Amino acid sequence: MKKILLFLMIAIFSFSSCEKDDICDANTPTTPRLVMEFYDISNPSILKNVTNLKVIGDGMTEGIVLNPTASGESQYLSNDSKISIPLKTDTETTKFRFILNSGNPNPTLIDIDEVTFNYTHNDVFVSRACGFKTLFTLDPLNPYTQTTIPATKLKWMQFISVEKSNIDNENETHIKVFF
Amino acid sequence: MSLLLAQAQDTIPNNTSLERTKKVGEIPEVPKLVKKKTATVTKTDTIVPVKKDRYGLRVGVDLYKLTRGLYDENYKGIELVGDYRLTKKYYAAAELGSENKTTEDDRLNTTTKGTYIKVGFDYNAYENWLDMENIISIGLRGGFSTFSQELNSYKTYNANPYWGEMPWKTSGEKFSGLTASWLEVVAGVKVKVINNVFVGFSLRMNVLITDKKPSDNFENLYIPGFNRTYAGNFGAGFNYTVTYFVPLYKKTVKPKK
Repeated sequence: MKKILLFLMIAIFSFSSCEKDDICDANTPTTPRLVMEFYDISNPSILKNVTNLKVIGDGMTEGIVLNPTASGESQYLSNDSKISIPLKTDTETTKFRFILNSGNPNPTLIDIDEVTFNYTHNDVFVSRACGFKTLFTLDPLNPYTQTTIPATKLKWMQFISVEKSNIDNENETHIKVFF
Repeated sequence: MSLLLAQAQDTIPNNTSLERTKKVGEIPEVPKLVKKKTATVTKTDTIVPVKKDRYGLRVGVDLYKLTRGLYDENYKGIELVGDYRLTKKYYAAAELGSENKTTEDDRLNTTTKGTYIKVGFDYNAYENWLDMENIISIGLRGGFSTFSQELNSYKTYNANPYWGEMPWKTSGEKFSGLTASWLEVVAGVKVKVINNVFVGFSLRMNVLITDKKPSDNFENLYIPGFNRTYAGNFGAGFNYTVTYFVPLYKKTVKPKK
């Protein structure tokens, strides 16, 4: 009888130690980033790679990591036709600086566009381990505002098209940029 | 000689004739001893059918839930337990409880309040000796709970914390009128410590049957009586009880043959 009691005690303590075992799985869709694709303005159905594109959020000094496999400065530079950038989850606007040919020794070749995305957001329950995620809806009337730095320069992003105003996963392209 | 031998074989077997010859040679105490032995054997035979099982109601409380409130400020709860002996092996059993628990997960802080009832039976698999009344049982319960759940605060998960980790957001959203039902497999032990006082221990594995979700945007993270919910509708629990047995009548145990 005593042996059984002891066994049960051990079983219970091993049970209670399993309480904090769940970790949010990296494959669980959580707060999505804004997915942008770049197209050739002269041939709008063809994807076009950007050259050394760096994206810096307003008020930040470091760029968004666009190339996670690289290290050093080049992890902030994209030479691809697709990027994903995180929106702020506690405000309704997020401003980014899109720097094309970033780091080029010739400053006249560096093009900087500033884009502010306007959206509403709401928090959606995911699971015990992941908590909530934030989903975004781009403002239907005024999804973004675009300026150049300096303002006299021409916009390098010649046309921005909103493909999906509901940003609830990263499997689709939300914004198409033609340049 | 041959005639004598033949006579002996006819009347008495060889063995007895040998015993007899022995007896003649020994002190006459030996047959007395043999008599005593047979007497004791018959005595125990007559005692066994007199064994009586006590039948009655056992009521008590779960000490774990009761004492947890003393050291865990996020928990208040009580569970009353009871069983009633139906037959030699079967007991009708029930638990009735109330819980108020605040759960602090990594990204969620919720408070669950509610009451529950579990009804079922225990089967005592333990063969007691003499007047022992210990129980090693397996049993089944159906559980039902009504409760409310309040989301106190939460954190949003962001795999790309470029803008920094977001602080906890307070919510205060309350979901009332929630219900859940489940099946419970119980393995338990009850040991008589003094007269009619038992201490017991039970382990429970639960399977959710119905679970009324608070909304599309939330789920029940804790259900009173069922405990923490896991993916896949399974749960687990235990209790540590002190019970008092109220004997109502006795039944004679039929001797086994």
